[in-house]
Formats: sequence, C-alpha cells, structure tokens
Amino acid sequence: MRRWSLLLASLVVWIIVGYAFLRPGHVGAVVRKPGAPHATRIVSMAPNLTEILYALGLGENVVATTSDSDYPPQAASKPSVGSFWLPDIEAVIGGRPDLIVTLDIPQQRSLTSRLKRMGYPCLAVSIWTVDELFRAVETIGQATERQAQAQTLVCGIRTDIERLARALTERDRPRVLWVVQREPLRVAGRNTFINELIELAGGQNAIGPTLHKYPPVGAEQVIAANVEVIVEPAMSGGNLAEQHRQALAYWGRLPHVPAVAHGRIYVIDPDTVSRLSPRLYQGIESIAACLWPDDAGG
Amino acid sequence: MREDERVHSLLSPRTLLTRTVAAVALLVAIMILCSLVGTQNVSLRAALAGPGSPTAPNPDYEILLHVRIPRIILAAIVGAALAGAGAVFQAVLRNPLADPYILGVSSGAGLGAMLAVVSGVHWTLWGRSPIAVFAFIGALGTVWLVWTIGRITGRFHVTGLLLAGVVVNAFFSAIIMFLTSIARSQDVYATVFWLMGNMAEEDPFVLWASAGCVAAGLVGLFFISAPLNVISFGQTDAQSMGIHVERVQFIALAVSSLITAVAVSLSGLIGFVGLIVPHAVRLVLGPDHRQLLPLSSVMGAVFLVVADTIARRVVAPAQLPVGVITAMIGGPFFLILLMRYNRRVYWLS
Repeated sequence: MRRWSLLLASLVVWIIVGYAFLRPGHVGAVVRKPGAPHATRIVSMAPNLTEILYALGLGENVVATTSDSDYPPQAASKPSVGSFWLPDIEAVIGGRPDLIVTLDIPQQRSLTSRLKRMGYPCLAVSIWTVDELFRAVETIGQATERQAQAQTLVCGIRTDIERLARALTERDRPRVLWVVQREPLRVAGRNTFINELIELAGGQNAIGPTLHKYPPVGAEQVIAANVEVIVEPAMSGGNLAEQHRQALAYWGRLPHVPAVAHGRIYVIDPDTVSRLSPRLYQGIESIAACLWPDDAGG
Repeated sequence: MREDERVHSLLSPRTLLTRTVAAVALLVAIMILCSLVGTQNVSLRAALAGPGSPTAPNPDYEILLHVRIPRIILAAIVGAALAGAGAVFQAVLRNPLADPYILGVSSGAGLGAMLAVVSGVHWTLWGRSPIAVFAFIGALGTVWLVWTIGRITGRFHVTGLLLAGVVVNAFFSAIIMFLTSIARSQDVYATVFWLMGNMAEEDPFVLWASAGCVAAGLVGLFFISAPLNVISFGQTDAQSMGIHVERVQFIALAVSSLITAVAVSLSGLIGFVGLIVPHAVRLVLGPDHRQLLPLSSVMGAVFLVVADTIARRVVAPAQLPVGVITAMIGGPFFLILLMRYNRRVYWLS
C-alpha cells in the first residue's frame, strides 16, 4: 500500500511542479507586434477564403493556400498547406505569415488556437450563409485595410441578386430537388446555403423542413414532393454529359415525377455552387438557368 | 527450444534492466531522429539561434520547438499508454484479441466527443477543447458501466465483462450513428476525423500532466505485474495461490482504462498500437508481464512516434490520420513476426 501512496504523491508533486513552470500563458512564444500597417504575407485556410482574398486584390500577398484552392487559377500554384480539414501546421509557419485567415469550423478551431498560442495573428470567419459571406468579406477587408474593395464587392453581388429578384417577381416558384448524392439518395434540406441559392434563383426547395441538413430521402418523398426540377451538381472532375446520362437513367425509375416527365433534370458544374465565395452570383445564375431555361442569358 | 523458453521464464532483474534501458535508448534515438523529419526543411543550426525577435521570428525554431517536439512527445505518451494498457487488458481478460478499447473506451469516448460537438459548448480547459474533456469522461464512464455490469454477471466475470463491453460498445455506437445523422454535417466530419486519431502539438502543461499520469499508471501496473503473470494462467490457480484475483483485476482494469482515457482524450482513437505491440513484444521476448509491461510501453511509444512521423511526411503537405499508418505498417509487420516466431504462439491458444 505504501508504494501506491508514494506513487500518487509523486504524481501530485509532478503536476504541481508542471503547473508552476509550464502552465498556459507562462511559457509563451514571441508575441508578434504588427510590423507592417497591413498584412503582407497571408495564408488562406480554405478555398473560398482564397477567392475572397483574390477578389479583394490581395492575391500578391497570399503566400500559401489549401490544396483545394483552385480558383482563381493562379491560386493553385501557390505553396500548399494541405487540406482545409487536416492542414500541415509546419507549412503554415514555413510561409512566415503575418495573417492567417481560417474558417470558424470545428476542424480549424484547434489549428487557430494553436497558431494563436504561438503568437500568430489569426482571423477566423464563419461562412455558413449568404449574409455571413458578406460579413466575412467585410471583416477580411477590414483586417487587411481593403474596406473599399470589400464594400464594392459586396454591393456588386447584392445589386446582381436584387436585379434577378426583381426580374423574377410575379413568377411561380418551381419546386427544386437538389441532389447531393444519388445512391443512397441525399438532397439539400432547408437549413443549407444551397437552399438560399435556390430561393435567390427564384425556386423553392421541394423538400420541406427536415431533421437533417442534407436529409436522406426515399422515392416516396420524392413523389410526394411533386418535384418540378431536379438539379445535380456534378462530381468534381467528371464529364457533365456522361453524368447527365447517368442521372436520366437513374431518374427513369420514377417516370411520373413532373421533373422526370418533362425532362427537367440538370447536371451543373459544381464549381460555383459548392462553396460560398465571391462567385456567389455566378452560382445563382447557373441555378436560374436550370429553373428558367427559356430566358437563358436574360 | 525448451532451453530457450526456460530462460524466458526465469527473468533476472538484470536482464530486465538491460532490456529496458536499451529500449529507452532506442526510443530517445528515434525521437531525436524523427524531430529532424517533417514537411519543412528545418535546420538545426538555425533553430538553435533562438526564438528571434517579435518583428523577425525564427520559423525554424518555432517549427522545431512548438510543433515537432511537442507532437513527438505526444505520440510517445499515447503510444506508451496504449501499448501498456493493451498488454494488461490481454492478460486480465485472457483474450489475445483484447485491446485497450475493448471495454467500451472507444465508443464511450466517441459518444462524449459527439455530445461535446452536438451540444455546441465552447470553452477550453488548459487549452483542451470540450471534445477532449468529454471524451475522457465518456471513456471512463463507459468502462465503469461495463465493470459494474460485469460484476453483476458473476464473481469470475471475465466473459461477462467482455460481453458487456461488446454490447455497450454496440449500443453507444448506435447512439453515435444516430447523433451523426441528425447533427450538422460539418460538425460530424470534425468528430469523425477527431475519432480517427489525430495528432497535434499540445500545450506544454497538458503534455507534462499527461506524461505524469501515464507514467504513474504504468508504474502502478508494473507493481501488479507479478500477480498478473499468475492470473493470465487462470483465475482458479491464482486464487489457490492466495492472490486477490478480483482486487488485482480491478486495479489492472481501472489503471489501464485511466491511461487509455488520457491517451484517447489527447489524440482520439488510434487503433492497432494497443493490440499488436504487446503481442509483438510477447512473441519476441516472452510472456512475463514484469518485462512485457515496460517493454510494450516503450516499444509502443517508438512505434507511434515512427508511424506519426510517416503520417505527417508521406503525402506532404497533406497529412494522413496516424491510424492509417499504424494499421498499414503494423499489420504486415506483426504478421511477419507471427510467422517468424510462431513457435511461441502457445500463449495464444
């Protein structure tokens, strides 16, 4: 029994000693003072953040991006810091950044707090909705002294959206099924940014409120939802025509669904609709082109 | 052959000491070597120049001191905890398939992590996220539940314990699946990746305290390694030799679950270390727990440090979950050992 007490006592002493010398905040890294008035070496931790930085004219200052930052094309040639969900912190530090822009998502919160602990200035933005996108653009604009560009960018997108909304008043809103995955069938629910894009493009989500964000649905629900248009973002890197053929074959099993009966099944380029980025309006347009095929371009 | 086995059964303190010291020396060498490997080229000379000034920080120093070394120490702590606990679980449950997660630690930690994410709590305790804290509580709570159920099933309750562990694991996994399907998908990914095993550098105090807990736990387990030798041959025999079987079992399971929970809360669920490292050490050096425990722990640390170094380097700058490497390298390596030393598989039968 004595040796157990001794063991426990040593553990307690060990922890107390550690707490005295190593407790958080006690051993700090170098705290960086802002050297330049604005950030000159920026690391972007997500593809849509990269797009925002480029749209604000900061492309030159971006020193590293995530491996999936493929737009604008010149962003893809920047050094990579790994994927946005499993980043390589060494590569982030190796870029000698004076600003790291991260997403306020669970996968990046630990990265952000680790970098902050080392004294790196981090800016975490949350981008789940269209409104949050606008706010994020403004926040990033503020942190990088690009307020004017941010204002112009946000106003431009807002104006485009309003113009489209005006053109689409008076029209019936077609019921849209947004297919995320075919087998098993999974679609976009109400509480998603896709839902917002569909509504901004003049449609409505055929699926009502659901427990899941991206609910799995059965044939029964698809029939009951009286779907008028089916939209599938293509698998990345795939051939649109080939995927459209597969989609027709798949949906052929439900010939009485209005969308299938009228041949209103669309496979679209996923590029602009897979992330909330400054190309938001292009995404909305590409959805509108599916909903209103007759006045395409207008 | 007989001679060889006899030598193993008579483990002298001197042999034990020599082997342990050799293993620790190997661990230190591997840790130093691995700290020089990474996605960025870090020059040791540049790193030794110190942290640099606020306007011109020294990235080499930062990467080495704040990223790599803490991460390597973390891998060593987790590897030692899992392999040591695995050896004890295999002995107490007298089951070669036992690993540190078998009594529900994995699903308990998973459920805790999931609840932390779903409930959306946001705070930190010494730099630990709620996920880690909830996972720790979930892991210990589940083992306690399984132990209680096992006790109710009978006095010599190894089978009861195992079955209770399997059922509680399945039940909690079902709850995790349920939460997965209703939670926000992004949160779910975070939890899934967390659970797949993730290594990240930690706060120095967290490393210090965890290292202390794991080391104390391993020393405690070493205290009971002699009775464990007897128990692993059969409870009735142990009983007749005057060993308090249930008390030893309780201490063994409680302490090894505790260090497993510490490991899980540090880095999620890293498979395979707790299963194959004790077996590998047992195959090569014999089944005496006085030797198996310390050597499994040290070799577990070596194994995880190497696996994690490969995981962060092999597809750079992308990072692999370390569990992928432990299974992909550990599996074949273990099978080779199994074939090479199959004459000693008697323990497994």
